[in-house]
Amino acid sequence: MAAVVAPLAGAARMAVSRQGRIWGLVAAEAANRGGQVSASDACAAAVAAVQVTGGWLSAASGAEPAGHLMSVTDAVSERLAELQLMLGEGPCPDAVGYGDLVLASDLGELEADRRWPVFVPAARRAGAAAMFAFPLRIGAIQTGVMGLYRDRAGPLSDVQLGDALIFADTAALLLISADEAGETAAGSGPGGQPADLAGHRAEIDQATGMLTEQLGVGITEAFIRLRAYAYAHDRALADLARDIVARRLRLGPDPGPSEDGWRDGTPHR
Amino acid sequence: MDGELLSDTFVELTDTMVAGFDVIDFLHMLTDRSVALLDVEAAGLLLADPRGELRVVAASSEAVRLIELFQLQNDQGPCLDCFRSGRPVQATDLAAEAGRWPRFASAARQAGFGAVQALPMRLREQVIGALNLFRADPGAFAAADIRVGQALADVATIGLLHERSMRRRDTLNEQLQTALNSRVVIEQAKGKLAERLGVDMDQAFSLLRDFARARNRRLSELAQAFVDGTETLIGLTRQQPRPGSQREPRA
Repeated sequence: MAAVVAPLAGAARMAVSRQGRIWGLVAAEAANRGGQVSASDACAAAVAAVQVTGGWLSAASGAEPAGHLMSVTDAVSERLAELQLMLGEGPCPDAVGYGDLVLASDLGELEADRRWPVFVPAARRAGAAAMFAFPLRIGAIQTGVMGLYRDRAGPLSDVQLGDALIFADTAALLLISADEAGETAAGSGPGGQPADLAGHRAEIDQATGMLTEQLGVGITEAFIRLRAYAYAHDRALADLARDIVARRLRLGPDPGPSEDGWRDGTPHR
Repeated sequence: MDGELLSDTFVELTDTMVAGFDVIDFLHMLTDRSVALLDVEAAGLLLADPRGELRVVAASSEAVRLIELFQLQNDQGPCLDCFRSGRPVQATDLAAEAGRWPRFASAARQAGFGAVQALPMRLREQVIGALNLFRADPGAFAAADIRVGQALADVATIGLLHERSMRRRDTLNEQLQTALNSRVVIEQAKGKLAERLGVDMDQAFSLLRDFARARNRRLSELAQAFVDGTETLIGLTRQQPRPGSQREPRA
């Protein structure tokens, strides 16, 4: 049996440092700009790190899941974003509509032309030879889309794709954080990195779902409130989620005298 | 091993790939069948995400303690070793593995398991995850079990890819993300349903899955619609609130 070559991505012990490295790039982008870390910084940092020609970020706007163009890194990106919004066709609308990654490594391929017959010729005229669309989502929470393009055809390497996905996750979290008026990166860890970027826990997703019922809110709002509660009570997100899933803690919608916007329910026996 | 059950299982799995396929439902069925076919008490499928973190996408039981055993292995354990090496990893007596995997071995034993096996999910030169098998009694895994287990791991990999053309190299990456995203949606839906009905996560998952099958809908789509609020699950068993639980009126 032939020896199996190294796995797709680094193992868990490297996971924290890979996320940490990417957060560092995003923070550096914000520092260069002289502002607070935002989703746009994640997009700009991604373009540089993943070695594409340009990128853009669209956020949810009212009923439109990706109707608001938030940032672009160059004129071609702006053109590509606008074309897709206008036509309702292209890798980004597909990524938003299906909620899945769309990797079009060669817009000259027959398949791309079949899939997006009006968009592809216009995109190529604008200067794009490859395009990669990343829905910004945490499960059912969808906050927008990040688009990257290259002026020459070819797929992202495994490392580039992995990095791009982490940038996209970071952008999604930053977009959600920015929803809360004035409050960004709630629940920061060392270096201001949002603590819940460190590792995925099923309990966090479950607790978010539970909160939609406990608080009577949508999934995005439930997630914001979960993180805000952890931050306000100085608790690790995963620990808080574990308590909620185990029904040791329940959050209620009644503001009560504390005016926090939530109330701790009576713990269940 | 029951030969008829074995062939029935593979027929069932391949049938599923043809009709109304949902990747999480398929992978869950595979872990279920692993328990039925092999001399094991629990099974789980883990996939590596872009960070390199091993994430459980399906398990024969959604019991919190079992899921925790899979999540622990991000740090240490047979699945991590299997993922890194690309080779099967086995521990025939967890009591003797305190040196190799101190936290994992202890947690697994507390959960009632005595032996563990991890089989790689491979596609050509890539290792994308692992099939994790747990047995209550210590002892070696039968050679036939290991062979069939590896075949099941390979079927899981094929199931991940079957939806789209396998021509393009990008396909595997796209499908991996789809599976990982779908799993998150299902976790969110489990939480919402568990809270609404006052049931545990394992029951919530079963109810969602059974409802999807009965209505001929894809599990992931149903979960998304339920979380979005566009699917009310009318007809799902309504249970009385648990004694002492507070049902606050919706605003």
